[in-house]
Amino acid sequence: MNTFSKLSFRALAVAGAVFALSHAPTRAEAESTYNLAMLSDFSGPYADIMPILAGGREAVVDWWNDTRGKELGVVLNYKNFETRYDAAQVASLWPGIKSELNPIAVMGLGGPDVAALGERLPEDQIPMFMSTAGYGFAWKSDSWVFNPRPTYSHESAGFLNYLRQKLGKDGPVKVAIMASEASPAYVDMAHGLEKYAKENPEMVEVVETVYTEVQPTDLTAQMRRVVRSGVDAVIIQTNTSIVVATKRALQANGADIPIMLSSHNGLPASGKAAGGVAQLEGDYESYGMAIAVEGDTAPYQFYKLLSEKYGLKAPWNVVTAMGMSQGSYVVAVIDHAIANNGAENLTGAKVREALFSGPITTEETRGMLPTLNFTPEAPFPLKGLKVNIARVVDGKIVIEATNVDVPVVNKW
Amino acid sequence: MDFLNYVINGALIGLLYALIAMGFVVIYRASKVFNFAQGELVILGGFIVWYTSFELGLNLWLAIPISLIASAFAGYLIERIFLTKLIGESVFSMVMVTVGLLIFLRGFILLVFGPAVRPFPIVFPLRPLFIGDLLIPMNLLIGGGITIVCAVGLSWFFNKTRPGLRMTAVAEDHVVASSMGISVKHSIAAAWIIGAVLSTMGAIIFLSGKSLTFLASDIGFAALPVALFAGLESIGGLILAGVIVGVAQGLATAYLDPIIGGSIGTVMPFIIMLGILLVRPTGLFGWRTIERV
Repeated sequence: MNTFSKLSFRALAVAGAVFALSHAPTRAEAESTYNLAMLSDFSGPYADIMPILAGGREAVVDWWNDTRGKELGVVLNYKNFETRYDAAQVASLWPGIKSELNPIAVMGLGGPDVAALGERLPEDQIPMFMSTAGYGFAWKSDSWVFNPRPTYSHESAGFLNYLRQKLGKDGPVKVAIMASEASPAYVDMAHGLEKYAKENPEMVEVVETVYTEVQPTDLTAQMRRVVRSGVDAVIIQTNTSIVVATKRALQANGADIPIMLSSHNGLPASGKAAGGVAQLEGDYESYGMAIAVEGDTAPYQFYKLLSEKYGLKAPWNVVTAMGMSQGSYVVAVIDHAIANNGAENLTGAKVREALFSGPITTEETRGMLPTLNFTPEAPFPLKGLKVNIARVVDGKIVIEATNVDVPVVNKW
Repeated sequence: MDFLNYVINGALIGLLYALIAMGFVVIYRASKVFNFAQGELVILGGFIVWYTSFELGLNLWLAIPISLIASAFAGYLIERIFLTKLIGESVFSMVMVTVGLLIFLRGFILLVFGPAVRPFPIVFPLRPLFIGDLLIPMNLLIGGGITIVCAVGLSWFFNKTRPGLRMTAVAEDHVVASSMGISVKHSIAAAWIIGAVLSTMGAIIFLSGKSLTFLASDIGFAALPVALFAGLESIGGLILAGVIVGVAQGLATAYLDPIIGGSIGTVMPFIIMLGILLVRPTGLFGWRTIERV
């Protein structure tokens, strides 16, 4: 074979190989690929918790791709976008996110995402799924922004009904609410519980809503009033600084009144800010999501699986649980959308429709969330609501109660 | 008795504001610069105290003096790096630098200490002082005493000592002061050192037993009405202004907040500030400048 022939043969071989490779039924071609946009705050006010929350939700999507995605022939890609928890930043990023990813869903972080995109998402036909509880001011029908948990007021009302039973009270359980006008969300949380108390005077009496700064100077005088009014609990769903200042003011007044916290300012975070969880002895946290304590529970087993096989580096805490619960219900909704429409040509609108097509069971979210029944009436489930309650006992966070019923809280 | 308790607590909170405001006034007196980064100096001082006590594990009574020295050095560095080159330039330029300093310090603290909420050491006893039915928080009581001592000491320094009078001359006019052989650089550097130390003392009183976050810098703005009410040149006036603002805030928090259902107490100092600016723009004890035309 002369040189020319050898070259011709090699050229033909290479061409044949290229043709064969390019026309082979590769895995990528057999799969449908969809994109998820994740809105994140790695440099703003939630920068300290963001890597943990992001780790939780990303690990769930990786797990889904490796298990259900493989079965269904679907790959979910995701990308984080830095918003600095700033509505203006979110608004400016959004056109780029749409053109770059054309996402079928957005995983949001908080209020600025809702403020920036709440009005645009219906037009763009892309749903956004949050990890937090909902808000009264966002309680509207036909929403494109969804929360897996009801409002913070639902969650506190659920806790207070539990506390009333626990204390064996015939009359209402008396509470004070710590709020701040620094955020509309904080005011909303207070208004919701006030409305519930007004409509259910036999269950809850709000003796006072104390408005303060996000870093209070001193709350001794305010807490003195609260203590004198004989409250059974203080509800704080704002931030950890207010929790610590309230705790110190209660201690200064020699009062041993329990505080109820939410997930974002929960016992681990507030305990850390106060110098240790033991500082919050006897205090509670309550929310409609799994409580991150170790044990033979489905959420913890799921966390261990994600840590061991899917590169989840975050510790097992409430923030990781928020990220995991967010990821879990988002992939479950997408799973439903694929079941309803097939794996191809999935759109944001089809994903949103799937949310209303049937319940997302607690088994589907590995126990991270209770069974969720979304309807177009509200951006969060309104029926079958449950909360879990944890408490600090002997310096450790333990589960106090699970699947506590949440009463009906009317719109405010 | 409740009324008296609210008045006392309010007065003590007002004295804390006065201590923070003293940082504004000292820097203003020496350089005619209104330091917008005063709140950030408070959190910088707070983080230094946290670092020396929690991270280095030093005994609190060793950590506090070291923190005060470190914050004095930080104040000196800030003046050397950012302000010394601007001597003789317009006051507006220097004020804008303090706005930049505000942003820089936030970024610097985020970079060095991270964004996590930190526990602040319990410097003062958590148990309040009980006098009959009166309940007085110990951190505010001791802080009030410190504020009064600082105000008396600094008033004497600025009005009776040669270095203090030199700093006052610098505030009048940089060029004239220089022509009289006064070192403008040294005077302004001394003002920033004092301002930074006062801020750290304010952080210790404010944050004792609480948590440390960026949100703590808001106290800089809470102290602003006290500084403007007193007049930006008056250190002694800060005591009276602080007490008035604090008592008004305390009473508003006690009696108006429950009725209105909002934080009127938080807004009250700013209402007072606006009122004063309308009636007496130089504040209660501010210097009245007579200019020949």
